[in-house]
Amino acid sequence: MKCDVAVIGSGPAGMAASESASLAGASVCLIEREERMGGVLKQCVHDGFGLFRFGEKLTGPEYAWRYAQKVRALPVDFMGSTYLKTVKKRETSFLLELVNSTHGVFSLEARTLVTAMGCRERTDRQIFLHGERPAGVFTAGQAQHFINIRGLMPGRRCVILGSGDIGLIMARRLTLEGAEVEGVYEVGERCSGLPRNVAQCLEDYDIPLHLRSTVRTIHGRERVEAVTVAQLDEEGHPLNGTERRIECDALILSVGLIPENDLLAPLEPEMDPVTRGPVVDQWGQTSVPGLFSCGNALQVYDLVDHVSESGHRAGKAAALLAEQSLATRAPRIPIHAQDFASYIVPQLLQCPSSEMVSMAFRPKTPIEKASLRIVQDGQDLVCQTLHWLRPAEMQNLPLDLSQANPQGPGLEFHLEQVMP
Amino acid sequence: MGRREKRLARFRRKIGKRWGHAVQLEVRDDVLFLTGLVPEWLAKVALGHGAGKLGFRGVVNDIQVSGVSEPSMSLPLENDNSLEGKRYDVVIIGGGIIGCAVARELSRKNLKIGVLEKESDLAMQASGRNDGMIHPGFAPHPGTRKAHYNVRGNQMYDQWSQELGFSLKRPGSIVLFRSWFSIFLVPLIRLRCSLNGVAGKYKYLSPRAVRAMEPHVSAQQRGGFFLPSAGIVSPFDVTLALAENAVENGVDFHLETAVMAMEMSHQQIQGLQTNRGCIEAKVVVNAAGVWADVVAQMADDRFFSLHGRKGTDAILDKETGARQTRIMAMPPLVRRKSIQTKGGGIVPCVEGNLLLGPTAQEVPDREDYSTDAGEFSHLVRQLDLNSRLSASQIINYYSGVRAASWDEDFIIEPSQKVKNLVHAAAIQSPGLASAPAIGADVAAMAVQALERCGYGVEERENFQPYHHAQVPVKDLPEEERSALIAKDSTYGEILCRCEEVSRGEVRDALRSLVPALTVDGVKRRTRSGAGRCHGGFCLSRVMKVMAEEMGVPLTQIRKKDGQSQILVGETKGGVSPSGRAS
Repeated sequence: MKCDVAVIGSGPAGMAASESASLAGASVCLIEREERMGGVLKQCVHDGFGLFRFGEKLTGPEYAWRYAQKVRALPVDFMGSTYLKTVKKRETSFLLELVNSTHGVFSLEARTLVTAMGCRERTDRQIFLHGERPAGVFTAGQAQHFINIRGLMPGRRCVILGSGDIGLIMARRLTLEGAEVEGVYEVGERCSGLPRNVAQCLEDYDIPLHLRSTVRTIHGRERVEAVTVAQLDEEGHPLNGTERRIECDALILSVGLIPENDLLAPLEPEMDPVTRGPVVDQWGQTSVPGLFSCGNALQVYDLVDHVSESGHRAGKAAALLAEQSLATRAPRIPIHAQDFASYIVPQLLQCPSSEMVSMAFRPKTPIEKASLRIVQDGQDLVCQTLHWLRPAEMQNLPLDLSQANPQGPGLEFHLEQVMP
Repeated sequence: MGRREKRLARFRRKIGKRWGHAVQLEVRDDVLFLTGLVPEWLAKVALGHGAGKLGFRGVVNDIQVSGVSEPSMSLPLENDNSLEGKRYDVVIIGGGIIGCAVARELSRKNLKIGVLEKESDLAMQASGRNDGMIHPGFAPHPGTRKAHYNVRGNQMYDQWSQELGFSLKRPGSIVLFRSWFSIFLVPLIRLRCSLNGVAGKYKYLSPRAVRAMEPHVSAQQRGGFFLPSAGIVSPFDVTLALAENAVENGVDFHLETAVMAMEMSHQQIQGLQTNRGCIEAKVVVNAAGVWADVVAQMADDRFFSLHGRKGTDAILDKETGARQTRIMAMPPLVRRKSIQTKGGGIVPCVEGNLLLGPTAQEVPDREDYSTDAGEFSHLVRQLDLNSRLSASQIINYYSGVRAASWDEDFIIEPSQKVKNLVHAAAIQSPGLASAPAIGADVAAMAVQALERCGYGVEERENFQPYHHAQVPVKDLPEEERSALIAKDSTYGEILCRCEEVSRGEVRDALRSLVPALTVDGVKRRTRSGAGRCHGGFCLSRVMKVMAEEMGVPLTQIRKKDGQSQILVGETKGGVSPSGRAS
């Protein structure tokens, strides 16, 4: 089988990439390991999706359904329940080895590849949780799946470790389903979820948020019986005398997301150690020509609308590249995050860039008033003032970088604190 | 006065001086009994080990430790009479690797054999909770049963692997030296290898030769000793293959079945009282792992006691597999008494991951499989042996408990007191490596016991030594895999994407000769959920297949034994159509 663009993953990024690639005239194969399109949106029954892309508040399944309808209306070849075994790079194409029930093991050759595999949740093992190993320890996504898709309860009295958005949303969901949420425990000094989720999911339901606290030990041989929590000092060591045993029957973890890029390893794209996604230019093209990355596989976004937006860009660019109307060899200059910016995506700028470049970053600490400058060779290309930046909220700004000199040195992305 | 009596007198004086009347000792039938009260667990352990060195047939250490309780054996929840009146020629207590090896070996004979396992699956304790290493046999002291069985067992693995179809690799192990003067120990290591009969061309390696073998080895190494016969297996796969081959040859396995008492008469076991009724047995094999002394007590033959020594292992992501091919360890070659050794090293796994471990920690609870930050920090130090590894690559960790006797040697013998009982006890490391040799000897002892009791034993005519182990579908050649999927499309439906496990394979694990009863059982048989996402994506799908196959609602699916149901009930709206097992 052959196609111009293969898209891996049919979540909000992959659906958008398929749509834009198809609209740009490419033949598109959309590969999905689940039966249906939508990715994790299918289990996100809360609302707040789609404000930017559809101009209204939708639930996850509604957003997924609307996008799926758009994709279905196009000549996109959707392959559900299909497992991608390996990807190999050929001179001018990619060879995908796939497995499904209908075709067995088969291969697909694509001129360009858009990877939109999303991310996976960190587990209890990855945060080195100790104690017994009973049933009743769930990631927030697992708990969400059991409640929202299967209609089954993971516990009746729950402790939540980690204050990621899914954890906060699950605190509310569990409460609405009649479970008691004893509290949310966060290792850091700040909540890692969005402020609106803290207000709507915890404060509205009187669920306490314990900062600088963690679960130290899990108790219970068969099923979770209790956990021991403790407060932490500045260095993250448990404070003596603060240990407290909480009787519960479930521990729900919302301790971070890891972009799923294991499949890319054999292609050896350059990776960003902070985002754990590939290094890309403003079109989402990685250091491997023809390989694009978008959505949560590129960086963990806060808003699904931004995920789709990045998919849309990558899909369109992949289609144009497949038709050779986008230069592969155009000069690309690096963009370096400086000062208070913990990272910047894209990490590369393909010149010339006549369109506005959508730049995503997070500050390292909360900043009341910040100045953002993009500097090349001592010259300011962009200078803006921003207010109320928080690490939990990704900034996604369209910026004009058309003045960047393709032959010049790299761009410095400065984010500095300004005393109000 | 003989040498042993002198040593005993010295030991008696020593404990009198240290503990006064708090600790008493007594010798009966060549067995040393320790009683009394000490303030901490490690004191009890030190006393037991001291007694173990005196050369008695056994040491029973019944010293109590103030404030410490020694939990008793956990028991299955089930209580029925399904096995009441069942009769076997041989009953094997314990479904670990030793019990299964004995069962498979005995199934060469025309006997009715039953294996009783109290857990919900095989190899649930030490057999399934170790590093999977087939030791070369250089470590045990020459002349011990450990040395004897280890070297023989190691060599028998090739035949086992061929017949039973599990994967065996012999990457060899490098014992790394931490100081240059260790080179003076090389003649001693050679001598020990030759005394024990270690196989293969073992040799000294210069630091450069070590680096040539393992490019990422720590810069701290000062050469090493290479033992090519060291191997690796998946210990669960070996145990399951033995058990399934035993089933193919007529052996019965009863899971979640615990022996709780024995009916004795005329120094013989008449019946075994279990939670599923009373079972009659002509001969009983005690392969009860950490509880073998408790089982011996049931037959009033407690001439040894066991203590638990916990070890923790960690598994690294598969991506690290290419960074080391051989087993590497840097043990302290000169043992200092004052320091409790934390052995271990880095072991490649047959599945392609690397494994760290194990540690060693004396514990009063023999079923304490918890992990803790302290032990874990010891374990993580092993990473220093390889410069390309880091703690962030750890995807899982677990503990196991070694069944150690006080002289730290295996106990493999027919009971001296009970005519129809054979002990295969105190099998700790290198028990996995020794299992083939132990299995053969213990089976022979059981046959002798049957003959002693007046029963004739004949060969089974149609003994089938070959077991067709299920090859993971992902490892099949492309055409074969496609053909299989064309025949049965469920093999093309990938449920677990980290380990590429199909729905068909999960279903097979639930229908196999010793079927999985729990989510962990499915995981051990198929590797679904054993990958980097840790079941984040596949758990619910695997549970759904289980519910359908077992004909129960999803809420009854258990993670492991006991009441380990994963879910607690329905939401307010109740089960959605997709959640109902149809």
